[in-house]
Amino acid sequence: MSGLKREGDHVHRLDALRGTTPQQPHDARAIAALAANPGCTRRALMDGAGIDKDAAAQHLGFPAPFGQSPFAITRGNVFESLVKADGCAELLRMLRELLGLPIAEVSYHDVENVGAHLRAAHTRALIDRAAGEGQDAGTLYDHPLLTLEIAGHTAYLEPDVVAFQLGGRFHIVEIKSFAVVDGQADPAAVAGAARQAAVYVLALRTLLEELGHDPLKVAHEVVLVCPENFANRPVATLVDVRKQLAVLRRQLTRMTTLDRLLEGLPDDLTFDLRPGEDGRPTRPVAELADALRRTTARYAPDCLSTCDLCFFCRDEARQEGASDLLGRQVRDELGGVASVAEALGLADGTRDPAEGQEEIARLLRNAERLRKECLN
Amino acid sequence: MSDRLDDLERRIDELRAGVRKAMRVRDGATARVLRAELRSAERAWDALVTGVQPKAKEHPPRLVTVREQVHQGLRLLGAAAQPRLVVAVSEAFFGGTIRSNQLTSLRRDEERSFRSSPFGRPYYLCAALTDRLSPARGLLTLSAWPLERRVVGPLSPRVDFLTCAIAVAEQETDDDRAVRLLVRMARNIPGATDGSLGPPDPARVAEAARAELRVHAERDTRDRAELAERAAAQLGDVARLFGAATLSTIKKEKAK
Repeated sequence: MSGLKREGDHVHRLDALRGTTPQQPHDARAIAALAANPGCTRRALMDGAGIDKDAAAQHLGFPAPFGQSPFAITRGNVFESLVKADGCAELLRMLRELLGLPIAEVSYHDVENVGAHLRAAHTRALIDRAAGEGQDAGTLYDHPLLTLEIAGHTAYLEPDVVAFQLGGRFHIVEIKSFAVVDGQADPAAVAGAARQAAVYVLALRTLLEELGHDPLKVAHEVVLVCPENFANRPVATLVDVRKQLAVLRRQLTRMTTLDRLLEGLPDDLTFDLRPGEDGRPTRPVAELADALRRTTARYAPDCLSTCDLCFFCRDEARQEGASDLLGRQVRDELGGVASVAEALGLADGTRDPAEGQEEIARLLRNAERLRKECLN
Repeated sequence: MSDRLDDLERRIDELRAGVRKAMRVRDGATARVLRAELRSAERAWDALVTGVQPKAKEHPPRLVTVREQVHQGLRLLGAAAQPRLVVAVSEAFFGGTIRSNQLTSLRRDEERSFRSSPFGRPYYLCAALTDRLSPARGLLTLSAWPLERRVVGPLSPRVDFLTCAIAVAEQETDDDRAVRLLVRMARNIPGATDGSLGPPDPARVAEAARAELRVHAERDTRDRAELAERAAAQLGDVARLFGAATLSTIKKEKAK
């Protein structure tokens, strides 16, 4: 009983955090970004409450030039239509080479044939049939629509293609337009794609579980399709997303058990933008900024490519002179030293190491000595 | 010949000096005219030196409507096809001039024309029908085709692709664009290429496509026959050509 009450409390508390601002639905990109910085309380709270971070950042005067460039989107769409052209001819070739898809397996279902409002239900029915009947049901499902519960709210997700193979396993196909040159691709882009694909795998597994099938029918290996070298010719690779799945699952359970984070917050705290009748926020900027500063952020330079609030947090980190600014690696090496000034103080000996800082202080002094020797 | 070359070289020098003078006094119009002359003189000089006659101007595009060009392309392919493929075929075999974006409103225009005067034209460019009897996204067909050829079952996209590949392979042509199109298609048919980078053998492509087609043919024909029967029974003239609206299909199914 108390568990139920607690849960109700926490939903209520999250709604209070959001206030009157309309809720922002999550998409795969946003969910994937959650896994990019799991240690950030501010982000966990704002996403949990479904707050429009972009609007908040704009109101605070730190708009992030965020979202994909229109050119990248067009390029992505063109490449996707090329892969799917002529009954997914290119995709079938790659799946045959990569997964050993039998020649007879070419069946193609376009879920978008039904009206938009029926797509989720239609996807469900098709996947149910495929998982139940096995091989005869279909091979490629285009434009499916999956759902995933994020902190009590439903997010709708659109994977590029879901492929179902004779082996009785579903594979998520993710089509991305960054190039694989000589077998190598930009690691950051691949990591992003893997995180995004992990969201789809998780959503599809949840769906199968709901339908009473074995969730492990969804392969943890996703098929990543990218242009090869400098031509537009697509090439497919299998990417293992088990690690991303684990991070994502942990982050999502953390979002549903935000109690611990919420307990530490004052009761009157809210991130409400108080939108006026025209939808423009009316809340004083300083007040909102104060409210945000009461939650701890964990800024890292990677945030610049995944979070709308990045500039706000960066500004905060700069004002505090935090060592976070220098990137995760430096922060981890400077464990226990929060700010740049502190680190410099320890290095030139003007500051005495606190308890537990002796080791890092010794390292810093050594580094400073080496630096002086080099400069002299 | 060397006399002519000498003349041309002298003429080129004069023209270059003229262009420079015109630029100095900022007389753009004269400079432009002189430049054009300079370029044609240089081309003539190139042609004389290498001994290659400059190509006669390419034939101006024939005056065929977009609609007719699409019709030609589809008739050659003989199966439902995406606008992109229709454009490629029309370009490769008929010297077509259409671009994909000219095809976006085509189906809607055809539907309007059909509604205002039914069967007023010898053929209509129309939609392929999905298993819900709604128009399939981005597929064009001809009204003259039997319904079985115009419906799309689960295997039909692949079957249509193979049918199109056979049709392309069977055209006799040595046009670069046609070869490129065939290369692109052959890549995605198992056994159609021998692994070399050169152009594939059309006969081999057609044979490979037929081999794969035999695997799918039976099930696809069955699916299509069933769909065509349903379409013939449930749809009126307009919907049979241009597809039923999705919502009304559902209502009809519920009403039963």
